[in-house]
Amino acid sequence: MADETAAGFSQGKLKVRLVTPERILIDTDASSVTLPGTAGVLEALPGAAPLLTAIGAGDLIIGGAQGGDQRFIVARGFAEVLPDRVTVLAEYAVKPEEVDKGAAEQQLKDGQKLESDAGDDPRKYAAARETVLEAEAKLGTPGQ
Amino acid sequence: MANVLDLRRRIRSVKNTRQITKAMKMVAAAKLRRAQERMTNARPYAVALASVLASMRRRVEAVDPSTSELRSPLLERREEKNILLVIVSGDKGFAGAFSTNIIRTATQFIRDTQQSDRNKRIDLEALGRKGRDFFRRNYATAQFSAVQQDTEAAREGFVDTHAAPRPNRNRREDVEFLANDDAAKIVLDRLRFEDVRVVAEDIVERYAAAEIDAVYLAYNEFKSVLSQRVVVERILPLISDKEGSLEAPDVKASAEPSDEERQRMAEAAASAGLALRDEEQEAVRAQYEDESKRFGTAEVDYLYDQPAADVYASVLPRYVSALLYYASLESIASEHAARMTAMDAATSNASDMIDSLTLTMNRARQAAITKEIIEIVSGAAAV
Repeated sequence: MADETAAGFSQGKLKVRLVTPERILIDTDASSVTLPGTAGVLEALPGAAPLLTAIGAGDLIIGGAQGGDQRFIVARGFAEVLPDRVTVLAEYAVKPEEVDKGAAEQQLKDGQKLESDAGDDPRKYAAARETVLEAEAKLGTPGQ
Repeated sequence: MANVLDLRRRIRSVKNTRQITKAMKMVAAAKLRRAQERMTNARPYAVALASVLASMRRRVEAVDPSTSELRSPLLERREEKNILLVIVSGDKGFAGAFSTNIIRTATQFIRDTQQSDRNKRIDLEALGRKGRDFFRRNYATAQFSAVQQDTEAAREGFVDTHAAPRPNRNRREDVEFLANDDAAKIVLDRLRFEDVRVVAEDIVERYAAAEIDAVYLAYNEFKSVLSQRVVVERILPLISDKEGSLEAPDVKASAEPSDEERQRMAEAAASAGLALRDEEQEAVRAQYEDESKRFGTAEVDYLYDQPAADVYASVLPRYVSALLYYASLESIASEHAARMTAMDAATSNASDMIDSLTLTMNRARQAAITKEIIEIVSGAAAV
């Protein structure tokens, strides 16, 4: 998303902060951030145009951070992208290897049950879908 | 006069008690420090969410101009007929009047609400065992029965299948305690955001289904050891202009501690080696606070990945969860502060008691010695 007007930033670094209700999980400099937006994955580079988005369940990848790329599984949150910083608020955020697989499998089952029970209620179906996607995001990424 | 042996025994027993209360005070002080840290850690999220909410409120109209529908059911303002009151109290005793104060403020609020309008009905929910036990003892427990699908009506097409089925409520009294299992499962000493979120989402769902028209939260606000009060705040509907700051969205009632109580808290903190202000920590906190406040509020036209109104609508329920979680953290900190103060008072009372018992014992011993000498002297004189 970097363009000429933001050329000054393109060599720079992004300040990335991942904030959960319990604490600031990570606060670092990085060269890129990949966000699981609800409407699709998006990547922010230094100099990106300001953007505000809700984020769904998926991988948050902080590229070029200290100690290499950092990956988190996140769900239910918001992200603000500014030319020089990215702030992610997420109700759920853990390192892939810290995911509670048992709980995630239970969540997947619950979600699937909700989905089959939802009938043609669009609101309930959407909520069930969200639960399933969240569980899949937690399970779909093998620990590293 | 009591005999010396008995007094010595009593002194020993009070000394043991003093050791216990002193240990409890130090434990409470350590837990208070940890609770304050958790508040500090949790604050950036809550502040950022409040900021983005305030900013979205300015950018997006609450009512969709094309359909004239509200963006979110949480913005709907209804006449307050059914009220939910959530109280956050302590799990354990030995904390002075901590839970009693909250319960008193809450019951006062219930009484005032009922007096202002006889038709108002109140549901009660409690985080923390003390409040839960009190409600269970003093109010009827709400009864629900499973949803009965009226099959015939459904076949005839009379039932709106789009409405989410909610359990039937058999209401018998104006004030009823909900006894929600999720709320009962919460252990304040090991509070996790996830636990609070489940309770908050249930509240949001009930509000969206119009089962309740307003949600109030009674808890002990904790800004610092010296700045605390019990408040009743309205957290739903989200219509107050003051949102966007975490400070008391809509305070309906409050009870401040007396100067004397405050003084005692400060003394207890000082004797437990707890710094009331930590300059270095505060600077870090202020920096995060400042940056969090700017979340989503830059003076630019944001691009939106989805319609701005959708972002707005999805911030609202998250904000309710964050409010409830942060309020619980504050309550936990004040519980530990109250326990620390109560145990400090108990320790100094025990010391006073030991002093006075020691004095009595010395007198008794002296009296016994004097008596013996008199006996010897008069015995010698008689010979």
